[in-house]
Amino acid sequence: MRDKIKNIAVIAVFLLVVFGLPVANLVLPDADVSVNERRMLRQVPNPQLSDFLDKRVYQEYEEYFLDQFVGRDAFRTIKAIAAYGLLRVRDNNGVYVVGRGLYKTEYPLDERAILRAADKFSVVSAKYLAGLNLYYSIIPDKNYFVAEQNGYPSLDYARLVELMTDNMPGMVYIDIFGDLAIEDYYLTDLHWRQEAILHVAEKILASMGSGYSALHNYTPNEMAPFYGAYYGQAALPARPETLVYLTSATTKAATVYVYEATGRREIQVYNPDLFSGIDPYNLFLAGPQMVVEIENHACDTGRELYMFRDSFGSSLAPLLLDNYSKITLIDLRYIDYNYLDMFITFTPGADAIFIYGTQILNNSGMLQ
Amino acid sequence: MVFSSISFLFVFLPAVLLLYYAVPQRFLGARNGILLAASLLFYFYGEQLMVLALLFSVAINYTCSLLIERFRGERIIPKITLAVSLLANLGLLGYFKYCDFFIENINSMLNISLPLLKAVMPIGISFYTFQNMSYTVDIYLARTKAQRNLVKFATYVAMFPQLVAGPIVRYTEVERELDNRAITIAGFSYGVRRFVLGLAKKVLVANTMAELGSIISYSGESSVLFAWMGAAAFFFQIYFDFSGYSDMAIGLGAMLGFKFPENFNLPYMARSVTDFWRRWHMTLSRWFRDYIYIPLGGNRVSKPKWFFNIAVVWLLTGFWHGASWNFIAWGLYFAALLALEKLVLLKVLGKIPRVFGHIFAMAAVFFGFVIFNADTLSEVGRNFAAMSGMGGRAFWGVESRYYLSSYAGLFAIAAVASTPLVAAIGGKLRRNMVITRVLDIAEPVAIMALLLLTVGFLVDGSFNPFLYFRF
Repeated sequence: MRDKIKNIAVIAVFLLVVFGLPVANLVLPDADVSVNERRMLRQVPNPQLSDFLDKRVYQEYEEYFLDQFVGRDAFRTIKAIAAYGLLRVRDNNGVYVVGRGLYKTEYPLDERAILRAADKFSVVSAKYLAGLNLYYSIIPDKNYFVAEQNGYPSLDYARLVELMTDNMPGMVYIDIFGDLAIEDYYLTDLHWRQEAILHVAEKILASMGSGYSALHNYTPNEMAPFYGAYYGQAALPARPETLVYLTSATTKAATVYVYEATGRREIQVYNPDLFSGIDPYNLFLAGPQMVVEIENHACDTGRELYMFRDSFGSSLAPLLLDNYSKITLIDLRYIDYNYLDMFITFTPGADAIFIYGTQILNNSGMLQ
Repeated sequence: MVFSSISFLFVFLPAVLLLYYAVPQRFLGARNGILLAASLLFYFYGEQLMVLALLFSVAINYTCSLLIERFRGERIIPKITLAVSLLANLGLLGYFKYCDFFIENINSMLNISLPLLKAVMPIGISFYTFQNMSYTVDIYLARTKAQRNLVKFATYVAMFPQLVAGPIVRYTEVERELDNRAITIAGFSYGVRRFVLGLAKKVLVANTMAELGSIISYSGESSVLFAWMGAAAFFFQIYFDFSGYSDMAIGLGAMLGFKFPENFNLPYMARSVTDFWRRWHMTLSRWFRDYIYIPLGGNRVSKPKWFFNIAVVWLLTGFWHGASWNFIAWGLYFAALLALEKLVLLKVLGKIPRVFGHIFAMAAVFFGFVIFNADTLSEVGRNFAAMSGMGGRAFWGVESRYYLSSYAGLFAIAAVASTPLVAAIGGKLRRNMVITRVLDIAEPVAIMALLLLTVGFLVDGSFNPFLYFRF
């Protein structure tokens, strides 16, 4: 009798899962976007009858079922907890945990990628930046501060810097490695905190010969809850953070344009409405953009800065703004350098800085 | 379609169970029809028009078996019909699986350039072809009667639980169930437990081992430690992958009222290579024993002929796994080991502590899978060279140390799960009535937890095809 009850219970839980989840899937509407994973989700395929002889249709269905599976985020969390707790693996999808912080493994150093990046920057400077004051800087990723001492593979950062310095002739290197600490970065995201890098901005400005200080009276503005990019990738429970952006009279008065294929469009230095989008860090200068122009009408020096940058630059640029009449940000991930003169006329005598994170340099194939 | 996919678990399986059990048990013909239609859909989803090869195979063997029976007693027609059937089966297998291998080797030997056929091999063709051949041979030898109902016969061949990766089910093993099968709560519950256990073996262990193997393959580090870790990862991956699949197949069979033969019996507990092959892919070993080895005379022949028989069987076993020289080498490697055991080693192993036999067997199997896992013989050489540290390789590097520390827990789990330890502990605990009751309550909860956990792993995107689909 006891066996019979047990058998019925086993069957019941199995059928509950095997029938219950698809029913829930049918009842609940499909989502367009996964906020945690920061990507669009696959929608239901719409094949023609003849397409059913094509393998790719079935692959599309597999992707659709995976993407739209009911409770996807919860199941990913179950997996992450089991991977760490049960299987004892030290990272989940390449993301690991140290203390309350989440980190993404970046290893090994791809020397060819570093050389490719250095070569790209040199080619860009030779083509467009003659007569400008040239600088470059490298932003360490979070692994620099924690990986090696916690037994995780770590890039050879000294070699990375050496490769860059040996292959960026005619440019002044601004070393900010020693000016940053792990506390200057978000726990759940890859980026630095704008409010924690004022001294970095100060150093960069000083290195570029600016007499101004970046340490102005900024007003901190808080946005919460902030879940960083690694939160979604790790799929582990984590406390939300608060994203802070710094405003001043200069940032409020500045005119900002982004250049798109269809022309230019005006935006703000900070766009709080984007905080609730796929990537909250897009709040800074509207996120991924090929060319952004910031005009500071309060500065009459006529000084200009061209900043070749990644997403770290979006939060850095507003802190440099007081010192320039105009800052132009260029992201070589989104524009082929051959087309830069379609949007920008480089002014001789201006400053130009290449400032990229180590993760971009080590994966420089994404630079166009 | 693979069992460890969302589409199978939450679309195909519930739909089939619903339709299958919506038909009352007394309408067994309708249930067989549903099972056949579902199986063909299952195959079509993965292979599309290759379903025609499966149907061709069904048609040939169905017709030939009826002809053999119709002309039983005559001298020529049954023989010719059997030959036609075998030629058709082997021709199908040869065309899709072996033609290009032979063309490549002829081209290489004669320095010519015959064009390759580049035929895409339908998954599971080796499994269903062997099932079909065993059926027709059994009919020819009058071991059983030919199935006159085409739906029943096609259901036997194409039944989705065992269609693409076995176990290789003999017709006689399911003949009665095709006509009359009793489905009980105990049977269905057993099926659920076997299925979920197999799913967990596949998704939690085999797939995670496969991820490690992939990391090692794509790593720039070529240390000795990494080479050994790669071999160890494959050693466990293939066991948990294939035995997990067999568990799922047996479980699904039980849910549908069929009792499929066991395919694995704790092979990593073997105490000799001979013992290992009695525990690993048992239905294939049995097939080769009954349809090749014994007809050749088995061991009831002179010693040279006996070893020749062993070599033939293992050459074919290796070749069955793939049209590549490394599989042939793998088969002959085991032929040599088995011959050696039969000559002297089994006697020696019988006299020394069991643990040495176990170590010997596992070492032989471990190195055997290094041969098995390569694509070419030169890759086999490279892998062994890496494991032996040739070429001045470092013993370890940053990545190998990290991944060893990261996957040590999984290796430990896999090693323990390859033994009867957990079952033995469970058995001992069940001697206590109170613990038995607790375990009875815990079992459904554990089943649900395992199922949800595997879904978590699947949803997170760790998606791997089964290793044995390619054979």
